[in-house]
Amino acid sequence: TVRPKNEAEQKQLCAFGEYVAEILPKYIQQVQVTCFNELELLIHPDGIIPVLTFLRDHTNAQFKSLADLTAVDVPSRQYRFEIVYNLLSLRFNSRIRVKTYTDELTPVDSAVPVHKAANWYEREVWDMYGVFFANHPDLRRILTDYGFEGHPFRKDFPLSGYVEV
Amino acid sequence: QTTGLVGLAVAENPHERLRILYTKILGVLENIPKDAAYRKYTEQIVNERFDLVKKESDVQKLQDKLNSGQIEEVIVQAENELSLARKMIQWKPWEPLVEEPPSDQWRWPI
Repeated sequence: TVRPKNEAEQKQLCAFGEYVAEILPKYIQQVQVTCFNELELLIHPDGIIPVLTFLRDHTNAQFKSLADLTAVDVPSRQYRFEIVYNLLSLRFNSRIRVKTYTDELTPVDSAVPVHKAANWYEREVWDMYGVFFANHPDLRRILTDYGFEGHPFRKDFPLSGYVEV
Repeated sequence: QTTGLVGLAVAENPHERLRILYTKILGVLENIPKDAAYRKYTEQIVNERFDLVKKESDVQKLQDKLNSGQIEEVIVQAENELSLARKMIQWKPWEPLVEEPPSDQWRWPI
């Protein structure tokens, strides 16, 4: 069985995507709506804090809740890491995804001034991928062992690691 | 006489507070160029809400007409919009794109 297509919701998400793209043309590079009715905004990394504050504070887009902050490693690209923010609006019951890119050495603005929840998520992304967040209050390892070297979730890190246990 | 929400006190004289906030927002929006989409849409939203606040003097009916939760929540939202407008003046998001991504950046599947 296949999920039935919800045309009305897709149209609504497309319209909202165009609305946001019209307001923030400086940072938004692309807007897409998946076939499962998920809206995604593709951002330039300089625009993380403006776009996240806009989505949190604007009346038509009260995305007050940061549901998730992750990274995706695609080693063949020039900017190999893709940082993904999932936001939820409680007022309008809708979700949105914001994606940015960076490479191994360029720092990215921390989302902690905008959403306090981003604190541990960013520590996890730093620990697992090696993406440095500027202006983070407390960026240290959170899941790996104390003397661990390397960033485990990268695609070039072997499955059973470098050290024998 | 409570809001029903934790941490939000009941606002006495919400009409006055909303009037002050909306006039402040409109004042801040004057500093943005006239053709920016942000200014257009925010002025539209603020003017709509402002007219509703001016016409309706009963708190309960105003909440129903605005259809946006409690009056105290509307006040908090207006304060957020004001701080956002002030930050927008510094960020200037209506300018054209800062930098194009590399051509294979957003291609999926790779």
